[in-house]
Amino acid sequence: MSRFFGLLAPVRASEQLLERLLFRHRPAIALLFLLATVWLGWQAAQIRPDASFVKMIPTQHPYVTNFLDHRDDLAGLGNSLRVVVAATEGDIFSADYQQTLKQVTDALFFLQGVDRSAVKSIWTPNVRWTEVTEEGFVGGPVIPASYDGSAASLDQVRSNILSSGQLGRLVANDFRSAMVEVPLFDRDPQTGARLDYQQFSAQLEQQIREQYQRDGIRIHITGFAKVVGDLIAGAAQVGLFFAMAIAVTLVLLYLYSRSITGTLIPLACSLVAVVWQLGLLRLLGYGLDPYSMLVPFLVFAIGVSHGVQIVNTTTLEAARGADSLLAAQRAFRAIYIPGLTALLSDGIGFVTLMVIQIEVIQDLAVAAALGVAVIVLTNLLLLPLLLSWRGVGATAIRHLQRQQQEGSHWQALVVFTRPAGARTALLVAVVLLAVGLWGGQTLKVGDLSAGAPELREDARYNLDNRYITDNYASSSDVFVVMVKTPVQQCASFPVLDQVDHFQHYLNSVSGVQSSVSLADVSERVTAGLNEGNLKWRSVSRNQYVINASLGFVPAGLMNSECSLLPVILYLDDHRADTLQQVSEAVALYGAEHNSEQARFLMAAGNAGFEAATNAVIGTAQYEMLLWVYGVVSLLCLLTFRSIRTVACIILPLALTSVLCQALMAWLGIGVKVATLPVIALGVGIGVDYGIYIYSRLNTFLVQGYPLPEAYLATLQTTGKSVAFTGVTLAIGVVLWIFSPIRFQADMGILLTFMFIWNMLGALILLPALTCLLRPVRRAPAPVTSVAQEIDHAVQ
Amino acid sequence: MRGFIRRRLALALVCLGALCGSTVLWADRLEQPAQPAPQATQALLLDIVRAGERLIAVGEQGIVLLSDDQGERWRMAQVPVSVMLTAVQFPQPQLGWAVGHDGVVLRSQDGGESWQRLLTGRDINALRTLQLTQQLADLPATVDAAQREMLEYALDDALAAEKDGPTTPLLDVWFRDEQVGFVLGGYGLLLKTTDGGQSWRSLGHQADNPDGFHLNSLLACRDGSLLIAGEAGLLLAPDADGERWQAQDSPYDGSFFAAIETDQLYVMGLRGHLFRSPDGQDWQPVALGQGRTASLNGAVSNAGQLWLLGQAGTLLQAGPQGFQALDTVSRRSFSAGVRTGQQLVLVGEGGISHIALDTTEARP
Repeated sequence: MSRFFGLLAPVRASEQLLERLLFRHRPAIALLFLLATVWLGWQAAQIRPDASFVKMIPTQHPYVTNFLDHRDDLAGLGNSLRVVVAATEGDIFSADYQQTLKQVTDALFFLQGVDRSAVKSIWTPNVRWTEVTEEGFVGGPVIPASYDGSAASLDQVRSNILSSGQLGRLVANDFRSAMVEVPLFDRDPQTGARLDYQQFSAQLEQQIREQYQRDGIRIHITGFAKVVGDLIAGAAQVGLFFAMAIAVTLVLLYLYSRSITGTLIPLACSLVAVVWQLGLLRLLGYGLDPYSMLVPFLVFAIGVSHGVQIVNTTTLEAARGADSLLAAQRAFRAIYIPGLTALLSDGIGFVTLMVIQIEVIQDLAVAAALGVAVIVLTNLLLLPLLLSWRGVGATAIRHLQRQQQEGSHWQALVVFTRPAGARTALLVAVVLLAVGLWGGQTLKVGDLSAGAPELREDARYNLDNRYITDNYASSSDVFVVMVKTPVQQCASFPVLDQVDHFQHYLNSVSGVQSSVSLADVSERVTAGLNEGNLKWRSVSRNQYVINASLGFVPAGLMNSECSLLPVILYLDDHRADTLQQVSEAVALYGAEHNSEQARFLMAAGNAGFEAATNAVIGTAQYEMLLWVYGVVSLLCLLTFRSIRTVACIILPLALTSVLCQALMAWLGIGVKVATLPVIALGVGIGVDYGIYIYSRLNTFLVQGYPLPEAYLATLQTTGKSVAFTGVTLAIGVVLWIFSPIRFQADMGILLTFMFIWNMLGALILLPALTCLLRPVRRAPAPVTSVAQEIDHAVQ
Repeated sequence: MRGFIRRRLALALVCLGALCGSTVLWADRLEQPAQPAPQATQALLLDIVRAGERLIAVGEQGIVLLSDDQGERWRMAQVPVSVMLTAVQFPQPQLGWAVGHDGVVLRSQDGGESWQRLLTGRDINALRTLQLTQQLADLPATVDAAQREMLEYALDDALAAEKDGPTTPLLDVWFRDEQVGFVLGGYGLLLKTTDGGQSWRSLGHQADNPDGFHLNSLLACRDGSLLIAGEAGLLLAPDADGERWQAQDSPYDGSFFAAIETDQLYVMGLRGHLFRSPDGQDWQPVALGQGRTASLNGAVSNAGQLWLLGQAGTLLQAGPQGFQALDTVSRRSFSAGVRTGQQLVLVGEGGISHIALDTTEARP
């Protein structure tokens, strides 16, 4: 065996050291663990949900850096909220409704985190109407100063809305609702404190929706802050799923081990791992992001899976007559190396997620890697320590012995170690691979449906979103191109003329609904200055006319030093294809026309960020797979020092990855921030099975056993617990399918699928590949029985 | 569209390779040909006319649209500029004229398929200066001081315009035949050609328009007389040789945007003002109906029938009981229209609109 772990000599050395340390100072070490758990538990109790707009977007991507460079000039084009106040009976022209709209506008204005200067509704003074009369061009705020709620003043409001150009933007096309646009600060500009989305979303519910929604008034809210708020609120149910997962695991563990200690100790150790992980996260300054809410599940599941291996081996030892201490010690010795290798692979698999330049995914990588590191302590060290006191109990030993005598139901799997069975298995795998590759072709990056695909289609958020898309002309998918000019040149004729052409060009790109920029304002006001005559609605070549036309520029269409003018594109949707088409078209225009006079930079707006995110994820998904497989393969190579072995362990995982992509395509799940980590997590966890099975199998093979016999022996020891683990992990995550949050449900399906297929791959494909790839050599005839060899293996 | 983008992408890459991407300066809209645009039928379109069986519409970004099936399907013509075109006219099915911003005058000799740029505002500015300098030089010493002063003032104006560049838009065009035609526009600009556009004479300074009000529309009546309707109630009619335009008594001091002839003459404009006259002298206000105060931009007359069109989706049909609003669904403004069979083809803010006449529900 030392030949195999040659390169891991230091680890082996540490094993001996640790074993001595651990089992000679049991009470002291247990006490240390207890103290650490209490302390970290106290930390974990203080961990808070956390989310940030900036964390969701790739801050290194040029689109986002361009936005961040100019974020002060782009008020309202980053993270903003739309609150719609709808009249369910009648229209918005009632004193009562207007009163409510005013109150909602005011209430939103005063919420902490709102960019007050950029709040817009027909009740804010920055929204104006303009009209042409014989006396010239007149205008004013939509709600007149003389407004008193009378029928006459409501009529005035109606006609002001018509001449404000806000129909379809701040007022619904059918006059039955009006909108408040609420730009948010991700960080408070004064204090620098991050916006607490959970609290903010709760305030929206309490101070806006509950406060003002009543008979006759409905409130609809959309925007990133609400999505995140709803995700965090929905994630509260995660606690329930966690409790259910624990209960199911408890029952299964008992049925498997028939030992009270063998059930409670792995469970407790895995829970300790979760507590430690959360506590450490909190100590490192992290919060619980809704997108990494699943990490504690994974930590728990991985913990249980390793715990089962140890309990199983301890029972085996005890069945052979060792006392509690010796059994636990031998189990530690047997499991420590493969366990450490497996956990190391898990951890490194997770760490490879760091290559993706999106903070929320990097945070998830840290959380998961931390969890795995913690499991080394809790489940590889603490667990055998605790087991050494009470042992697994007589019932468990009898149960194991009975099973070993029966043992025959594993015989079925041995068929895959014989050439015929192996070839059949491989053939099936190749067919599946072909199906997977074919099915995976349609896998898309980004969102595939409207609204917030993280939430279910019938979630209130998505209903609110649909209401707004149905009743307002301007789509909520906003892509902003920033046109950078020399200082004081943003409104010069050549710039506006070029921007005008640019918009004309973009309006011909499919996916672009409409666009708005300073050029439009200038054109409209120029027509207005000429009595509203449509024939004057063009950028004037006369700079004085342009300057006069820019007397009332709405906020956000130019910056204060006049060196930046955003072009706001309203898109049909935010599907990946649409975003890509638009970005390509803009990039093309920039390549052809960027000059000192005007540079066309992408991109702000939710659709702009999503385009950047898609671009990053599109390349990162392959980069990530390359890293995951590269690192895990390298680790296996170091451990087993055989390319064949690496192939035996990795190929089944690769098949699962391919099938998982096909499943995603088939279920209409796009690769995005929420789902990208799934495959890395799947590989990280799946490799455990392969490592455990192969290392045990190898033990028998090097002793000269023929493959079928060696494999049967493996199945009866390690294989059994691998099968059990696969099922337990799957059951732990399958419950997510019932999550109110759609992306968690998607993750549940995908992880369940990966756990089961990885397990089947390890139990079927691994021996089949071993059979077919093994060099034919003369093996010495076995001299002892398999039962005796199991003995050797664990010593 | 994707194919289009891909071709352009290839072009851009070639361009990048030659490092020209960063140095290309934006070509002026007077030099930049109109870009093909699939959404051109929804662009801002300002005028539409018939040329034989063909319909021709013009609008922003140098868009000229042609339809050979009464407005069902449209394609873009080749246009050498991308300025906003404001008016189009075809004195003969093959020969047409279009005018637009920056003083651009275009001519087509193939029924609107392709267009040549005959004049720009730069040419107009130059020819005005030249003509006025000449006129001043040719002025006999005996001429009265007032006329000299008027010419000097006009020359100053022309020189200032030359310094400003081609900023004045043309707003209407009318050709009587192959040879004789007028173009007119902002700030009292009025040019005449008598040789089919080879040479032009500026008439604006000798029109009865001392404030330089915009000249919005020229109406050629059946009896051969001409009428220009303009800003601030301006109505101009020419003398016998068409050189000097005299102000007429006006019923209104707000702007007129359009004029049309059915059984009588109509002028219309700001805030729903409409006036009618049998002879172009004596104007009577016509009430549109309660609350109809949207500006009127244009009119369609066909077989004695009259439709008025204007801001915010206004479309009014003249009837025995006065004007009735036709339901146009959208609130987008209309600029001009023609009748084809049982429908109106209108142009305006939303591009081309079809209004079926037989099934349209009339609102009181």
